[in-house]
Amino acid sequence: MEIEKHIKTITPAPAAVESHLSKRKNIWKKIVQQKTLILMSFPFLIWLFIFKYLPLWGWTIAFQDYRPGLPFSEQEWVGWKHFRFLFQDEAFFRVLRNTLAMSIINLVLGFVTAITLAILLNELRNGKFKRIVQTISYMPHFLSWVVAASIISYALSLENGIVNIVLQKLHVIDEPILWLGVGEYFWGIIGASEVWKNLGWNTIIYLAAIAMIDPEQYEAAEIDGASRLQRIFYITLPSLKPTIVILLIMNLGNILETGFEPQYLLGNPMNLDYSENLDIFVLKYGIAMGNFALATAAGIFKTVVSFIFLFSANYIAKRLGQARLF
Amino acid sequence: MGNGQLMIKGGRGVKTARKKTWGIVFLCLMMIVALVGCKESASVDNKGNPSSADDKKPFTFTYFNAGTSKKNIEANQTKIGKIFEEQTGVNVKMEFLVGDINTKIGTMIASGQYPDVLVPDTAIDKVLDAKAFIPLNDLIDKYAPNLKKLYGPYLEQLKAEDGKIYFLPFGVNHGYIPNPDIDQGAFWIQRRVLKEFGYPKIKTLDEYFDLIAKYKEKHPETDGKPTIGFTALTYDWRFFVISNPPAHLAGYPNDGEVIVDMKTHEAKVYGNGEYTKRWLKKLNEINAAGLFDKEAFVSNYDEYLAKIASGRVLGFFDYGWQVNQALNSLLQAGNDDLRYMPLPIVFDKNIKDQYIDPPSFASNRGIGITVSAKDPVRIIKYFDNMAKEENQKLMTWGIKGETYEVDEKGRFYRTPEQIKKTSDEQFREQFGFSYFEWYWPRGNGVFSDGNAWEPRRQPEVAQASYTEGDKKILAAYGAKVFSDLFAKPDERPWYPAWSAPIKQGSPAQIYQQKKQDLQRKYFPKLVLDPPSKFEKNWKEYVKEYNKLDIKAFEDEITKYVKMKVEQSKK
Amino acid sequence: MKQIVKRWRMRYTSWGDMVFDVCNYSLMLVLCVVMLYPMLNTLAISLNDANDAIRGGIYLWPREFTLYNYEYVLKENTLLNALLISVLRTVLGTAISVFCTAMVAYVISRPEFVFRKFVTIAFILTMYFNGGLIPTYLLMRDLHLIGTFWVYIIPGIIGVFNLIVIRSFIEGLPNSLIESARIDGAGEFRIFLQIVLPLSLPVLATVSLFVAVYQWNSWFDVFLYNSSNPNLSTLQYELMKILQNTNATMSGKTAADAFANAHADANTVTPSSIRATMTIIASVPIILVYPFLQKYFIKGLTLGGVKGE
Repeated sequence: MEIEKHIKTITPAPAAVESHLSKRKNIWKKIVQQKTLILMSFPFLIWLFIFKYLPLWGWTIAFQDYRPGLPFSEQEWVGWKHFRFLFQDEAFFRVLRNTLAMSIINLVLGFVTAITLAILLNELRNGKFKRIVQTISYMPHFLSWVVAASIISYALSLENGIVNIVLQKLHVIDEPILWLGVGEYFWGIIGASEVWKNLGWNTIIYLAAIAMIDPEQYEAAEIDGASRLQRIFYITLPSLKPTIVILLIMNLGNILETGFEPQYLLGNPMNLDYSENLDIFVLKYGIAMGNFALATAAGIFKTVVSFIFLFSANYIAKRLGQARLF
Repeated sequence: MGNGQLMIKGGRGVKTARKKTWGIVFLCLMMIVALVGCKESASVDNKGNPSSADDKKPFTFTYFNAGTSKKNIEANQTKIGKIFEEQTGVNVKMEFLVGDINTKIGTMIASGQYPDVLVPDTAIDKVLDAKAFIPLNDLIDKYAPNLKKLYGPYLEQLKAEDGKIYFLPFGVNHGYIPNPDIDQGAFWIQRRVLKEFGYPKIKTLDEYFDLIAKYKEKHPETDGKPTIGFTALTYDWRFFVISNPPAHLAGYPNDGEVIVDMKTHEAKVYGNGEYTKRWLKKLNEINAAGLFDKEAFVSNYDEYLAKIASGRVLGFFDYGWQVNQALNSLLQAGNDDLRYMPLPIVFDKNIKDQYIDPPSFASNRGIGITVSAKDPVRIIKYFDNMAKEENQKLMTWGIKGETYEVDEKGRFYRTPEQIKKTSDEQFREQFGFSYFEWYWPRGNGVFSDGNAWEPRRQPEVAQASYTEGDKKILAAYGAKVFSDLFAKPDERPWYPAWSAPIKQGSPAQIYQQKKQDLQRKYFPKLVLDPPSKFEKNWKEYVKEYNKLDIKAFEDEITKYVKMKVEQSKK
Repeated sequence: MKQIVKRWRMRYTSWGDMVFDVCNYSLMLVLCVVMLYPMLNTLAISLNDANDAIRGGIYLWPREFTLYNYEYVLKENTLLNALLISVLRTVLGTAISVFCTAMVAYVISRPEFVFRKFVTIAFILTMYFNGGLIPTYLLMRDLHLIGTFWVYIIPGIIGVFNLIVIRSFIEGLPNSLIESARIDGAGEFRIFLQIVLPLSLPVLATVSLFVAVYQWNSWFDVFLYNSSNPNLSTLQYELMKILQNTNATMSGKTAADAFANAHADANTVTPSSIRATMTIIASVPIILVYPFLQKYFIKGLTLGGVKGE
């Protein structure tokens, strides 16, 4: 694009053509120059093509009444049938709403809490204590959702649930609340559960980023008489910004990729309208029925949405002059 | 991009040391790699060479079972498998499913690489669709007289539409014998309730709840916590526990989601009908009266079990196999009053209960030989050897003097020590019961000598395990075993109707999923809303229900039922 | 006394500072309680008699202590080999993946690299799609990876998320270091190996943790590709098998079995107690990895000689 514009404005000077040619020459020269870099990356590009791009032929399954085992030529083509099934189901929009809502809640809560914890941990002066807190805080990540869900469910139960007991003691509520029985609470419960389970884990990457901050900056700030909060807001947070922006863009691309385990395990007939997400829908009507075509169609839909989010987020970051993904 | 402000110093002094470490790490890795490589080549299995002669040359076939989960094993590591190997020269490499069945079977089909013998369980339609099983007709005719005898009465029914037999179902029925203990559906009531009121005979749903209400009024607390009148299991796929009772209450067995008319053999769904309405209305009433567990629609399976095991629940409906963990826990706790009694409750006095399964077998489950099998003849012979009556006894009863005894009348029984021994999982694995008592060609019911095919159905075995409390309560009702209180099942050649083959992704299957979604959504409202709202909710629910493709489902089942009835006449 | 006051003074320049610390430390303590509870609860359940645990109400301490659950799980003789394979795939998989990922990350962090954008986007896009289960399975079959150890390693050589994370850290490194090395005549590979890698230790430690945990926890690839090859089974897969085995056994138990168990001292197991037990067995080794890696986080700090302690 840029080159073309260039040519247009400066034509008909032969010098421009020459520069164009020399640019091409330059590229070849560069390629020769950068042969080590190319050698270091191209084998993995081949790997990428084989393992990630090659299986994409599987997307054709979405347009077939796929029967495993039959050769490709004998599959029955059905066009957009499976997409129609997906989009025309009356549950679809409810499911999509739930997916997006929980995703956004998780995204916001996840980022805010993880960054806060990383900063607070960084402010701990006692190294040993800091390490212990870190290790403990990432432990829940290693519980499977099955185990975690049973603990959460128990904590929210009517009679023995710690949440009800504490709230009653504090006189916030008079009667115990059936938390999982009220649909409106569900998104919040999932958000809190995700934070509880993954807070420590999500913090690690920010701790690594903080570890790479030049300590001299802090020293200089201290000499200048900056307070704790000032140091946090003028040194730590700005240093974390590139990491935050990059992670945010990547996660925005995953906006429909919420997983299904917590929603599935904590879901029940009473909160169904708020708990069912896209993955559960696909699980029920695709995978559990052995309908690979529907599962693939849903996958394609997700990819399209992901790309839209990814490119928009990247574009916005670029316009704002922030770090960007590509 | 975000560079510039970060300055990192140092990292220079450590360089050379690090270089060395990297080298060592790399060397280690290489060695490990080499090791793993060796391992692989060593683990190539020695599959037998194809042979069709009737010799006993060592031969091993692979067996994949998607129906249950066990440790992978070679058959001859178990006692039963060793005996079979001595008889036939054949060993079996057994593998069991660990993850999702559709994924596993789907990849098998897609790649065309099967084990020699496959038990596809619920994915059987796909396996048949992919033509992965070889027809067994000729093999059975030529090589398997015993198999023919075992499956004899049903050979016609086993044939697919093209007249070929592709798989052998399990537990083909040879005579009726009820399970003395109720492992199927029942309304359970806590024994202290019956005791309090002098062991009254209760038959109808109204009587059942009246008794519970009366008891709860007298004893509002158990161990300092509120007594729960009635709870229900609604979690995940176990939701059928709350949607099935209407059929049972109306005097039908567990045919899945339909009631089959005994005369016309038409299958009708009942989820939108009077029976379901009556059941839910009753639950709505008892909820208003404070008898229904508030958390019933929220609790997960573990919480449900915990509640029952705590002894606070006066009654519930469930299938015995599903609530066993809690019942066992109560048994072990030792307080007989807190244990439960299964009852065949119905809507009205004149209805004959049909809780106990009619003699039957599921015809959409079975074992087949795949197209990958290298020597189907040896395999069918292995099956045939298994089908001999003495070997069938070996698979279920074990070895005389070791796992069972025979009295002077020829009746089989087990001593208390043998009962203990044969219920220990580790022993069952070593002996091979875990691996052979099901998921192989097998009969069920009664042997030609009058003994039950399965020990647990032999009254002598069941009675030997009764506690004093069991005996007392049975005596109070004039029964010897628990199933004595239940009516004998009528003949239903199609039973269970849920074994009708429903194609994956077909309208009938989608109906099933949608119906469950709908019921999961509406049942809580119907039960928990105040009684004044019941009619309105019900109308709304039925309206939504009737939008579903009911007919597609009913037609599938009816077709199947009629076919089964025809086959049974042959 | 004077010294203490002096140290106190040195530590806190203002009241606000002290209040901050008090709040911060208390908050962290609360956090520890909330985060530690689930593990302790799981541990208590795993140490409790299974039949008794069904009744619920176990918090931090077992009610009826037993080691039977562990005995039951650990008696499986397949576990030792599975543990070996798990360790192997974790160590090997992490080492290979982190090294390769860092290398590509370095390449795409070079602003002058001609294919920079192309390579970056080619990698990033793959984060948001996949061809699906069956095509992937067929690919592994055609590459003859099924039934081999390499099926655990090769498909995951480059983690794209990790790639981007490492890239953005390398971009944060001062360019001057790399430039001066280049002027000294160092090749790209040497710069990567001798300058970039050591400087990126904190992020490499982070990514190693991510990969190690992924490798340690994964069982789905075992299930898909190697389920019929017991020699290549992993710890997680074997534990999964024990759990599902218990599930299957539980639903098949009869009243007679229950009687036998109730009257013998023989303990029983239930799916929930087995799940608790395997959670402990499977998670303790990997949890211990983090404290080990933490020193690299600190190292990043001390390299510059931070004060404060």
